[in-house]
Amino acid sequence: MKKLNRNQTDTWSEMLALGDIVARIKGLRVPADALTWHRFSGSLLLVLLVLLFLSGAFMTFYYSPAPGAAYDSVDYALFSVPFGDVIKGVHYYGWNIFLIVMGWHLVRAFIVGAYKSPRQLLWVSGVLIMLLIPALIITGDLLPWDQNGFWTTQVRISIIASVPIVGDFIVRLIQGGPLTGIVALTRFYVLHILFLPALLIFLIVVHFHFLKVRGLSGPLFKKESQPETISFFPRLVNRWLLLFLGVTMALGIISWYWPAPLGDPADPTDSTFVPRPEWWVLFLNQLVTVFKGPLTVIGSVIIPGGLVALLMALPFLDTSPERHPARRKTVILIAVIVAVILLGLSITGYIEHFNENHA
Amino acid sequence: MSKKVIFSMIICLAMVAAGMLFDAGEVTGAAKQTITAAKVKNAPSGLDDAAWQEAKAVQVPFEGKEQFAGKKATVDTKAVYNDDGIYFRFNWKDATKSVTKGAWQYDGQKWSHQKGNEDRIALLFEIERINKFATKGCAVVCHVPAGKAAKDGKFGTVTAAEKGDMWHWKAARSDPAGFADDKWLTKIGEEKGGRKSDAGKGGDTKNMTADKSKPMYMPAPGKKLAKNDILLVAHAVEIKDYTGFKAGDTITFRMPNMPEGSRADIKALSRYADGSWTVMLFRKLDTGHDDDVAFNPRKKYNFAMALFDDSGDENSYDSEVLTLQFAR
Repeated sequence: MKKLNRNQTDTWSEMLALGDIVARIKGLRVPADALTWHRFSGSLLLVLLVLLFLSGAFMTFYYSPAPGAAYDSVDYALFSVPFGDVIKGVHYYGWNIFLIVMGWHLVRAFIVGAYKSPRQLLWVSGVLIMLLIPALIITGDLLPWDQNGFWTTQVRISIIASVPIVGDFIVRLIQGGPLTGIVALTRFYVLHILFLPALLIFLIVVHFHFLKVRGLSGPLFKKESQPETISFFPRLVNRWLLLFLGVTMALGIISWYWPAPLGDPADPTDSTFVPRPEWWVLFLNQLVTVFKGPLTVIGSVIIPGGLVALLMALPFLDTSPERHPARRKTVILIAVIVAVILLGLSITGYIEHFNENHA
Repeated sequence: MSKKVIFSMIICLAMVAAGMLFDAGEVTGAAKQTITAAKVKNAPSGLDDAAWQEAKAVQVPFEGKEQFAGKKATVDTKAVYNDDGIYFRFNWKDATKSVTKGAWQYDGQKWSHQKGNEDRIALLFEIERINKFATKGCAVVCHVPAGKAAKDGKFGTVTAAEKGDMWHWKAARSDPAGFADDKWLTKIGEEKGGRKSDAGKGGDTKNMTADKSKPMYMPAPGKKLAKNDILLVAHAVEIKDYTGFKAGDTITFRMPNMPEGSRADIKALSRYADGSWTVMLFRKLDTGHDDDVAFNPRKKYNFAMALFDDSGDENSYDSEVLTLQFAR
């Protein structure tokens, strides 16, 4: 019987002309610590991404990208479709956790100097992925056509419009006109479900390509012996599936007990509604508060843009081969100062926008 | 390309990207009061049931309009629910208990209507989303033609796809029967407004003769007047002999019918004491009727309220739109 199954598999592989690929996957070896208790953020990001894709795909079955119908279609998917709110919750909590894990992934890579040669482009592709995620969130926020999504988009559009030279052009491009209406919603929808995911997949493929070719960052101190390896299939895949199962269950339970919010339907005539900034942009929001009037561009473009540029250029600026953080004191000190400033701005932003006792 | 050129390009791209991705908002979302229905094991059986202690009271402000313009009122609102039903309790100050509703009075010579209306409280939920109700409240369903008085206004939605569920507690016309009048709201017609009665029987019957000069019914033998000294249709009998009445006698003009069908969904208990009304309205979470909102405890609902102090429809105190949510 066992032999028969094996023959069948072989036959199917041959029929599908996948024999070589199957053999290569079976023969693939990866470092034993590719997915362990102390190195899991990359795998977790992949798990969350798959869940985001699956939950997003579910929602597209019910979604209608027209201002008069979008809210009702989301409301229907949430409350009339069995477990619809749980699936929406997985999507909602998924990207929030994705941002946190992505931040941790970046911090870890920075601390252990994983961006250093020969992994410079692995780092750059990761930073590009990091920049793409907010674009997905921004386009996704408008889709339910609720008050928060609509008015948050208005704020974002006004800030994009304030970017010198290209601001107005970008707004016209993404909004399709002077108002956020059906054209804008359609464009945001297409960007959210088609172009941005396609770009994300492309960048992930690029990231994995560099990961495979350049390898994971090794231990900080070189060992004499050869690093241990495990098979990609089934060992690593099984670990990943276990992680997938655990995260799915955890997110499902969270979504069941704390459903994802759906605000009131968007009312473009209700200018009294002023949205709260999301947690991950509190520091950026505070920067705009600090730099006002003609200096707005400093807080909205120059400082954030400079930070992103610094992040992308890091492997080309810090070229020493030393990876241990204790021997990279200058770089670590600069990073700590930047992190403290960003954290401080976020805390003041939180106090200003969320603390009800704040005057 | 040299490393410097690549580096410069990366910086430029990053600057534009950061500008595009920048996200911010301001201060806070529009203030909207939320009534949180507490989950209870046993439904409250009365106005003072211990179950009400589970719910947090919300002071809902009301603004007067027309006759009450410039005046304010506050309704202390609580809500609880269990697996089967939802229960609201409202308490508001009212110096006068008004249940007259044009009751007949005999002066020894002839019958005439007493002056006075009734106290009421009304709630409006959405069965099917009413455009901008979530932000504008009842204002979007009250249509007063240009140049006309408020009393000439029509109450209803703009399209047939928008449907409202109206709970209308009336101190004289529904409460004595133990119910709130269950209505629903649809598109305003050519002639009439969009306010409709739920399927079934209910409402009230005018107690008057064909020539409208005197009452036609009185309490049947052995039947007592209901709460607030109101004569129910079920307890009424036709008056055969008017000679037995003496000066000062009064008889209900608007006699409540015992509701049936979907119109009998909302039950009511009430008490007027110490210058305030306490009213409890309760109903199944899902009545199974198309003319009622079906409450799903996982969802939030917008609703608005109106208070009538011995007044007609145009003279009311209105609340802003509120949110009803269910505690888990």
